[in-house]
Amino acid sequence: MTNIKVALAGQPNCGKSTIFNMVSGIDQHIANYPGVTVDKKTGNFKYDNHKIEMVDLPGTYSFSSYSLEERVAKDFIISENPDVIVNVIDASNIKRNLYLTFQLLEIGMPVVVVLNMMDVAQRRGIEINSEKISQMLGCRVIEASGAKGIGSQEIMQAIVDTAAETEVYEDFKINYEELEPHIAVIEDKIKDTISPLNKRWMAIKVLEGDATIIKYLKKEYFDIEELSKIQEDKFHSLYDKDTVSFLATFRYDSADIIYHKAIVEKKKGIETITDKADKIILNRWLALPILFAIMFLIYELAIVGGYKLTDYTWPILASIKNFVIDISPAPYLTDVPMITDFAIWMINSANALVNYVPIFFILFVLIAIMEDVGYMPRMAFILDKIFKKFGLHGQSTLPLVLGGAMVGGCAVPGVMATKGIADDRARMATILTVPYMNCLAKVPFYTLLLGAFFKPDMAIMMFFISTATIFIALIIAKLLTSTFLRTRETAPFVMELPPYHLPTIKGVLLSAAQRVWIYIYKVLTIVLAVAIVLFAMLQYPGISDESKIKYDTQLTKALDTFEKKAKKSKYYEEVDTKDEIADLLNYYSGYKSKRMVASGKDGAKAVDAKYKVINPNYFKFIKPRKDKDARTINKTLRKLSKVRNRILRNIKNEKVENSLLGMAGKSIEPITKYAGFDWKINVAFLSSFAARESAVATLGSLYENNQVDSQRAEDAMAQNSGYTPLHAVAIIIFMLLTPPCIATMIVVKMQTNSYGWMIFATFFPVFLGVVISGLVFTLGTSYGWSGVEAMTYFYLSIASLAVVLGLWPSKTINWKGGIKIPKKTDGLYKNYEKNLMKGENQND
Amino acid sequence: MKSNQRLDTMKKGQKYKIAKLHTKGKLMHKLLDMGFVVGSEVEVVREAPLYDPMELKIHNYSISLRKSEANLIEVEK
Repeated sequence: MTNIKVALAGQPNCGKSTIFNMVSGIDQHIANYPGVTVDKKTGNFKYDNHKIEMVDLPGTYSFSSYSLEERVAKDFIISENPDVIVNVIDASNIKRNLYLTFQLLEIGMPVVVVLNMMDVAQRRGIEINSEKISQMLGCRVIEASGAKGIGSQEIMQAIVDTAAETEVYEDFKINYEELEPHIAVIEDKIKDTISPLNKRWMAIKVLEGDATIIKYLKKEYFDIEELSKIQEDKFHSLYDKDTVSFLATFRYDSADIIYHKAIVEKKKGIETITDKADKIILNRWLALPILFAIMFLIYELAIVGGYKLTDYTWPILASIKNFVIDISPAPYLTDVPMITDFAIWMINSANALVNYVPIFFILFVLIAIMEDVGYMPRMAFILDKIFKKFGLHGQSTLPLVLGGAMVGGCAVPGVMATKGIADDRARMATILTVPYMNCLAKVPFYTLLLGAFFKPDMAIMMFFISTATIFIALIIAKLLTSTFLRTRETAPFVMELPPYHLPTIKGVLLSAAQRVWIYIYKVLTIVLAVAIVLFAMLQYPGISDESKIKYDTQLTKALDTFEKKAKKSKYYEEVDTKDEIADLLNYYSGYKSKRMVASGKDGAKAVDAKYKVINPNYFKFIKPRKDKDARTINKTLRKLSKVRNRILRNIKNEKVENSLLGMAGKSIEPITKYAGFDWKINVAFLSSFAARESAVATLGSLYENNQVDSQRAEDAMAQNSGYTPLHAVAIIIFMLLTPPCIATMIVVKMQTNSYGWMIFATFFPVFLGVVISGLVFTLGTSYGWSGVEAMTYFYLSIASLAVVLGLWPSKTINWKGGIKIPKKTDGLYKNYEKNLMKGENQND
Repeated sequence: MKSNQRLDTMKKGQKYKIAKLHTKGKLMHKLLDMGFVVGSEVEVVREAPLYDPMELKIHNYSISLRKSEANLIEVEK
């Protein structure tokens, strides 16, 4: 058994991943290339007594070192030294694909060429003589179709055969004619290198100014760069050509030779399906409506549909929670074991996040389909002009929509979808603005506040809330790209619009499953870790001894009353010890909570039957029917239960108030009071870090009215908090700007590959939130604005700020130096000057 | 006749030959990699709905460029 290491290379949109999926099956491992956020997929499979490890290199148009993907791919080739390079080529776009093939062949490692999408080529009337190409390139050429599952065996056979023939391999060489003497000079210079890499290839790369290879060789030849510069200048003075464009032209010419000798296009000039489809999809008048329709559809299917799906998955999660409660130690009167509290807290935190898995799965499936179909770059094409003005990119559309540009989304898939944005500055700006979109879990919070303070104006307020975020995001994007992100690398907008393709089911499901797995594995583990910390911060130091005594007395009093009443019943003996009462109370509250979630008459009956079996004696106290003595117990039991619940709630609230988190909430009150926040709101915000849902739960429990059990949280808040609608507006504005939840912070860390940016993404919104809500609240108080007025002013100011920033010139000069050129009015000359500066800008 | 025609102002549906790239560094590399080598034929397919960027056809595939970048490509008939 031999091991063969294979690197899979190819240009973007050549169907590389379908070939990868077809050959390596589902035994795939995803990691990142060291130090960067580029996915590294590795597949392991066996063929004919050979163990093959295939690494999927990032898709690149070329093999220089100008983009991150190219650097990553080259680093892999240099450091891992694969046995065979498999080069996937789009058979229907062969000329440009061969440009990369020539560069791969020059590396000096054996190459297998896979002509993918042969079916598409055939349909388009492109006849390819693969045997001829094979002879001309001196390597095996396999015809395949990843989408149709054709060619898997042949590819594996070719890999194995090629790996076995490394001894008879002869270096591939392009005769670069007038450049040859210069290549020879460099090659001679490095002839004694210890590097196992092909010397001629390295020499060519040095002349191309390839940063990775120059750095690699500099360890041995410190003056290699200068030497190369001398050769480049010589070449330039002799032929008036620079090496880079000379090499590119030469390679394209070589590709052209193969194209003319081995390929016949029978339907040249006839419109393809893609051409026809683009006439509609990219039509000046139809493009935007179609785009909005697609966005709306995604939103409907994933967010709305997925939310409905959670109606079915939630009972499963609830039953897991009930199971955990059942196996945890039961509370004894008002004494709840900490382990039980902890178990419930953890399962709640986990459930809140797992609940979103159905939504995510649908979202990821839809994204994978759009990626495979080829709509993504077209979306960028349509909207680029708008986003460009704010320092973003056409490709920012999808992340922002997923993040919740339409009332509710989730920043996690939004941030994850930023991966494909080519322009680094725009990508960073998108990552940092997606968390400002309205997350789904914020919606119940808004509903609570609007229900409590804005009943008549709910619609307009909801409109403000859901559309304000997009203005905020644009403003922040503009702000960041012209300050903190100003010096980040930008990429020219040179984007292929690939032909439309039908996606494969396997590819779509694999990609969706892999992304969901990342969410579960990476996000959930960290959220649970943070949940433990938050739990501890809410538990310690606990309630004071005096309070303990106070609550004990209250309990004893209640128990006495219970005893007095119960004595009148003939069943008194069944409940005359403390243990029995504690048992009965747990039985009663357990029954009540199960009855609440049971649906319909049948459900209720099932719960009844179940509790009858658990304890037939106690059941009569819960459902006394005509039994008068049992009814006596029932009545007093209900009262006791109510008192116990009140004590439990008071203990909990006091615990929160005394806890570390409560103290933190109080300690920032001096700052937050300008926004009208008291410590309760602060605690709710702090606890919402783990998962946004808990903000509503915390607020709800803090404002619960202890006397009336049936009061809704909205009403309780309106009556008991002492807040005005202006307070509510300040809270809403803060929530709009509020920091991402931990899950989002983790994906921000993953995508920016930096803790610094993660911390920035957390605290910058907090800072903004406190300042702006403080401003609105303070102004509102001094001018006596109503809540709706304050919100309207806030909305109008951010909307107009966004418009003004959008009209502002988007490109600023961020380079200096060069030749001082006197200003002239001549148009031609001005153009020259502009280009010169542009060139220098792109050089660094 | 030698004129200084730039790709960004060229007519839809017309084919041109690339005469010269007035770029340096990263943008030039990218354009060369995508096949914008001197002598290649390029066709203007359409503008985006908001008039920028534009779609081109070169070496029988489609590509989009912002007009600010297309302005740096000199073409001839």
